[in-house]
Amino acid sequence: MRADRKPLKSSAQSGVIAFAAIIIALQVAVDLAHSVTAFPFVHYGMFSESFSAPDSLLRYSVVADGRELRAADFRIYRWDMIQQPLAAFDKQQATKDFAFDKAKFSGTLPAIYSAVSPNLDNSPTVAADFPDWYRGYLSRLTGRHITSLRIYRLHYRYGDSGFVLLSKNPWIGRQW
Amino acid sequence: MVSPIDYTRDRNRLLLVYFLFYYAVLIGWFADDRLLFQYRPVFFNYNRDLSELTLIALGIPRWMIAHPGSFAAADSLAFILPLPLIWRELRGKRFSPWPGIVFIAGMAGYLLLADIFWQVHHEPFLVFFLLAFVWTTGRADRFYLILKGCRLYFLYIFISAAVWKLARGAVFNSHEMSRILLLHHTDLLTADCRSITCRTYVWLIARPAASQALYLAGTLVEAVFLIGLFTRRWDRWLIGLAVLFVIADLLVMRIPYWTILIGAYPLWLRTGVQSQSILSPSTLSPSTLSPSAPPPSNEKRIVLYETTHHENLPALLDLSEAEFNQVIVFLKELSFHNLAGEGSPEQRWPQTEFIIQTAGCPNRRFVRQLFSYIRRHGVTHLHCCTLDNNLLIFTLRLAIAGRIHVSLTVHEVNLFFVRSWRSLRDGTETLAKLILRYKIRHYHVFLPAMADQLRKRLPRSTVVVLPSRFYSGHRPPLTAGAPASPFRIVIPGSIDPGRRNYAEVLRCLRTVSSSPSVPFIELILLGDGATVVAAPIIAEFRSIDSARISIRTFSGYIPETTYEQELTRSHLIWSPLHLDKHGSRNSRETYGRSTASGLTADILLNNIPALVPAGFIIPEPFRAAISPYRSTEEAWSLILGFIDEPAGYAMTRATIHQAFSYFSRENFTGAFIQLTGP
Repeated sequence: MRADRKPLKSSAQSGVIAFAAIIIALQVAVDLAHSVTAFPFVHYGMFSESFSAPDSLLRYSVVADGRELRAADFRIYRWDMIQQPLAAFDKQQATKDFAFDKAKFSGTLPAIYSAVSPNLDNSPTVAADFPDWYRGYLSRLTGRHITSLRIYRLHYRYGDSGFVLLSKNPWIGRQW
Repeated sequence: MVSPIDYTRDRNRLLLVYFLFYYAVLIGWFADDRLLFQYRPVFFNYNRDLSELTLIALGIPRWMIAHPGSFAAADSLAFILPLPLIWRELRGKRFSPWPGIVFIAGMAGYLLLADIFWQVHHEPFLVFFLLAFVWTTGRADRFYLILKGCRLYFLYIFISAAVWKLARGAVFNSHEMSRILLLHHTDLLTADCRSITCRTYVWLIARPAASQALYLAGTLVEAVFLIGLFTRRWDRWLIGLAVLFVIADLLVMRIPYWTILIGAYPLWLRTGVQSQSILSPSTLSPSTLSPSAPPPSNEKRIVLYETTHHENLPALLDLSEAEFNQVIVFLKELSFHNLAGEGSPEQRWPQTEFIIQTAGCPNRRFVRQLFSYIRRHGVTHLHCCTLDNNLLIFTLRLAIAGRIHVSLTVHEVNLFFVRSWRSLRDGTETLAKLILRYKIRHYHVFLPAMADQLRKRLPRSTVVVLPSRFYSGHRPPLTAGAPASPFRIVIPGSIDPGRRNYAEVLRCLRTVSSSPSVPFIELILLGDGATVVAAPIIAEFRSIDSARISIRTFSGYIPETTYEQELTRSHLIWSPLHLDKHGSRNSRETYGRSTASGLTADILLNNIPALVPAGFIIPEPFRAAISPYRSTEEAWSLILGFIDEPAGYAMTRATIHQAFSYFSRENFTGAFIQLTGP
């Protein structure tokens, strides 16, 4: 019995080392893959991209019942939840429902893609449904029933004199 | 090996901390309308995560959007899944990994869905996710192995961020931080920017050098975590840095990243995680120190820290050598050389390691070395024999010293509770004592009356009485013979009119000098006579120096050998104390009640009788030796009795010899075990 103990321990240690090596290898692979992650292997870049001066800065202006919502009036996460759906919806529309990602998927794994492709698409009615949905969510967030909603895309330029508004484009506007 | 008690404690603490964090996150999401049933999304996102893509490919997000009730079900599962696990842990029933496995799967699924629907960032939750693996094992070694892995991952988070910033050149971009602020706070900056926060962002954006300095400082903080890969020595400082980082992130970036702090738990733990880690070699290098390898974790190692009252060490050393696998004493050079009157400390306590504070070593460095030693050598117990300098620094180090049993000798009970904010020193000491009283639950005093006082004020603490030294009995009492000539009376201790009533002694001796029938008396003032306050007292005593009375004094520090020789050659100890005195920080103390005099140590060196003023509470074992007096006349009468009746004097010493046999190591082992705990 005594003679068995050491090999068993060594085997367990080897297992731990092998497991650790696999984890590290996966993490390194994800780090090298840059924009792609595979939960729980993610990047901890923490604003490590070297930013160049932005040509313009985008802000979504939300006017609910004639009153513009301001970041200063909300807790950080609540304001995040007001802005984030707009940015996400904007991206979904701009990318034609993430067409690039799907194309990459179909190009890399065509067989799997063809089997699961119906699951990959958002409903074609998203664009039509979004204003109603956003109004409902915003009503829940703000705690008041919203009957009129106007959302603008505002583009700014930052220069020596501060922020200069370049354009103000109406994006979503609806009355209920 | 980690003891089962440590393992159970560490596991229970993690259970509490982990699920407090977990439910705080969920409740926070609920408060911000972020739970899935509150969000009720109509589309899903691609975040370029392969795990999320798998869920999307399986059709789960699409199905959930089509069946909105599933959002409430997912939220409910997030709240409910931990319950079987918590129930199992609390009940301590037969271990099963399934509640843990189901919880991990549920948490991973929920985090992926949250990201798919409302783009929660996974990064702050990953240590959370990894820590959950401890709930899949019931074995201590695996538990600590997982914690070790989580500790490394926590370090990796910060190190990786620093590496990315270097590798991608962000740290070299002089406008990096101002641009980050510009992009990150656009909605705040372009709106009504009147708040201090917003104006600060504007200020920083307009000054790229200032904002970049912040960025570089952040990168530096992240890079500092690299040190954790090589040593656990700075783990608690790293926790502090992580907290600082999270606060800075909230203030500068408005990113509440607090959930990442759950990863600090493995850094906070010492026992299990450390016992399995590779310890780096000691860097502690005072010339007298010989670092040894960390002991097996079941060994008991005690460190005694002593700064001024080395006369109280002998009993603690005797007991420690008997009860501990290793004894280490941190003490001043002067104390070391005067620790034992007969022989050297190394000979008397051969199993004890003495670490000496040399004259050139500042107190703070010595304190630092003490805690470094404790950390590196797996010390299990610390007894503070005296704490009289750098109290707050000592206390703060003690507070972060990890799991170590701490006990303290209280020399002045009232001083330990005095609160004063009159000066910086008083303020820091008051603060330190508050922390000490919270942290320390085991106390040592020299007298039963002191123990009673301390127990009243700290009812939840253990207070034990231990003498300064044990009675060796190697000096047998005298046999009856002719009256001693000269009859030696010794007054030990510093010559301080604030502590002792020398006028009383003078009055008594003047009576002697005027009485022709009294034999020759020698009075020994056994304290430093070269001080300013001692000079007038000695001058007064010199005035009664005559053919019948001889006065002997000393100048400077009296070596222990001389001190003990003088005491053993004497026939009587006189301790003319002012019972009420002002303590070392002006606290009001009463000898015999709230503080002990050096008499309780001195008297055990031999079996000679002693005189004290009436009112001094004499504990039972000392009663054979100590006689109280109410007046000068009574004192003189007692002295005369000792001189005139040699047979009675010899009998008194024999009685003292017998009574002092109580002061043996065996009789105080129980109290010492109470003091030092398991």
